[in-house]
Parts: sequence; C-alpha cells; structure tokens
Amino acid sequence: MVGAPTYDLDLFDEAGIIDPYGHYRAIRDLGPVVWLSPLGMPVVARYDDVRAVLADHETFVSGQGVLMNDIANDLTRGTTLASDHPEHDKLRQVVAHRLTPRALRSEKSAIEAKAEAIVQRVLDLDVIDGVTDIAHAMPMAVVPDFLGFPDDCRPHLLRWAKGATEAGAPVSERTAAAVAAATELGGYAHHLVESRGMPAGSLGADLIAAADRGEVRAEQCPALLLDYFGPSLETTISALGSALGLFARHPEQWDLLRADPTLVAGAFNEVVRLESPLRGFTRVAARDTTIGDVFVPGGTRLFVIFASANRDERRWERPDEFDITRENADHVGLGYGVHGCAGQGLARLEVGAVLTQLARVVTRIEPAGEPVRLINGLVRAYESLPLRLHAA
Amino acid sequence: MNIIADRARCEGHGLCEDTAPEIYELDDDAIVVLRYESVPPELERKAEAGARVCPVAALRVTS
Repeated sequence: MVGAPTYDLDLFDEAGIIDPYGHYRAIRDLGPVVWLSPLGMPVVARYDDVRAVLADHETFVSGQGVLMNDIANDLTRGTTLASDHPEHDKLRQVVAHRLTPRALRSEKSAIEAKAEAIVQRVLDLDVIDGVTDIAHAMPMAVVPDFLGFPDDCRPHLLRWAKGATEAGAPVSERTAAAVAAATELGGYAHHLVESRGMPAGSLGADLIAAADRGEVRAEQCPALLLDYFGPSLETTISALGSALGLFARHPEQWDLLRADPTLVAGAFNEVVRLESPLRGFTRVAARDTTIGDVFVPGGTRLFVIFASANRDERRWERPDEFDITRENADHVGLGYGVHGCAGQGLARLEVGAVLTQLARVVTRIEPAGEPVRLINGLVRAYESLPLRLHAA
Repeated sequence: MNIIADRARCEGHGLCEDTAPEIYELDDDAIVVLRYESVPPELERKAEAGARVCPVAALRVTS
C-alpha cells in the first residue's frame, strides 16, 4: 500500500493474542494507517482515526462484511452488523428496540436477581474459576431466555458462540472448527425461525412478529437472530472475566468501588477500555479517501483496532492503568456511530449487576493461581481465572 | 455553540444525561431532549463532553 509504513509482526499468532498491546503501540507510532504484512491488510490503530472511521459510515462501509475473512463475511450477509443505509436503519430499528435501556427497565430486577444467585453460589466455594463460575454463568442465565432459545440448545451455545467469534478472525488453524460451529449455529437459527417455537415476549418471537407484519422479510430472520446472539455471549463473558482479573490485581480499585457503588458505570467503561472484548472489526473504503496523510484507494478493506485506540497515549493519560474514576465514557470498545453496539444496555446491566452484588458482599478478590488466556483471534478474554473471594 | 440532536438515531443509552444532565435529559420515551440548543459559554465544555460520549453519534456540537 503506497505511503503506508509496514509492520511485520503477527497480531494473530498465539503470542500476539496473549500479548497484543506492545504491538498496538508500535503500530500506532508508525502512522495513521499501517500495512500489517502477516495479515495482508492495512490497519487503523490510533484513537482519533478509529473514531473518525467509525463515524464516517458512508465512506467506510459495513455492507461487504466487517469480519476478517471472506467466509465469515459470507456467513454474516444480511445481518444488521454487515449492512449499510438504507437497509441498516430498518434492521437496526427491529433489532435494537428491545435492547435500549428503557426497554430493559422491565428486565432489570430479574437480571439483578440472577446476579445475586450467582454470587451467593460462589461465596460458598473456596477457589473459584472467575470464568466458568461467574463470567459464563451470568450471560448464560440472561441471554438464552431473553432471546427465546429453548433448553435443548443450551449445552451447545457456548461452543457455538466461541466458534462464531473465532470464525470472524483471520484464517488460522482454528478456522475450520470455528466455521463448522458457526455453520451449526446458522442452521439452528434457521430451525428456530421455521419452527416458530420461541416463547411470546422473547426477542426471537418479536423478530418473527416483525416479519409477520412485513417490517422485515421472513428470510432475514435467521440473520437477525444471529445479530442478537452472535455478539451476546463471548463479549459479555470477556468483560466479566476481565473485570474480575483487573480487580483481583488492583485491590485499591475494588476498595473504591465498594466505598462508592456509583463508580460501577465507570468500572464497566474502564474494563471495556483496557481489555476491549472485541479487538476490532473491518470496514471497506467505498471510495478513494485519505486517513491522515495516507491515501486509501476505494475498495480497500481496513482492520479498525478498537483495542488499540482504547490505549492510545495520544488520547489517554496513563493509558495502561486501570482507573475506574477516570473520564472514560468515550472509549470505542463498543464501537461508535450508527453501528455502535446495540446490546450495550444489556451488557451494562449484566456486568453492573454482578459487580454491584460482589461489591456488597466481597471485601477482596484474590488471585488464586495462574490465569489462562482464551486463544481466539477476535476476542480478548480469559479461558480460566482462579480466584478466591473473601466474604465480608 | 449549538447542539444538534438526531432524535431518530437516539436509542436512549443515556450517557449524555449521565455526563451532562445540565444540558441533556431523556424524555418519557427515553429519547434525548436538549435543555439548551444554543449553549451558554459556561456550559460549553459540558455540552461537548455529553455529545462526545453518545455511543451512536446522535449528538453534534457546532461552534
């Protein structure tokens, strides 16, 4: 790519997945657009440029897919995620209206009750796994019911969710298995839509009703169901695990949250800023354009690195420091602009409920062994996080 | 400074109100309502801050 510096180290091998932040910094220092040679794609890594690209959805489009390989972009055709105006606005309205904070008001106490039950259970254990005992438990308690997924699919959901996210990453030795899982998930979504078996009141049933009213085409429903499901587990699991890991390593921040529970909003933002669950998505330049002083030809696909923007020293003071009191609501871990995460209200509720309940009853979250990173090209998360919770 | 609110794009995430309740509030439909369209100088920083945090970029300030 003419005019762009090159970076030759791999962000997507195991080392790059486990420890990406030094890479991101080096890439940011090279320029506003950097050719990532192992990926064969240019990347945008600085905060101002990432935000500007996401805001300019007419130049940097999503309709050709936002994932990192062609198979995944084929599989996500027809989703809100991978659409542009005018189709996008229509689909977003159908998908987002049950996820706004106002729509979720009626879910709030049920979600809080689920958090209380999960926390109560782990208090009775000695060493827990922050991932399986808390980070998995909360979204699994909320999301399948909310979507209207029946009980028979529950054993498969985590495997499908992991597969769906890995399928969106650059092709690797993990891709074949991931695509197989993602394809199963796609088949299941079709089956759910055709059987019309999702309980009244669920988001899934809502979608069918919208199709019955002619607001969307029936053939679009499986893709829209995946719009809901695809990002709803792995991302929230990531944020919960990362929150526990960060508070375990920074007990003074846990003390701050315990003393002032209103800091939970800032805590959620800071977790998503520092350990952004989705490393980034792609966009395609719809026309010749520039980013900074770099010419970007029309048709170029770029990897837009949210996780890098969120630690850009050009925007953040002490960028690598976990500080739940800082001004951080303008991070880009949930994207930004018309495609900004539609499910963030639900994510805030789930993570907020767990942290709030833990803060009431746990004086200290203590590391109890070596954590293990999830090896996934797109999602930053723990696979396992041994902890000991000290009860009040 | 003026504020332009795209009420059709607003989804009621409420970050604007959390950041700058002097300027932004959500109505009964949880859509943003501006207390000021033309911002007094002493509130300009807050107006910018509130617009900045809108996750769906529904708010814009113009000088």
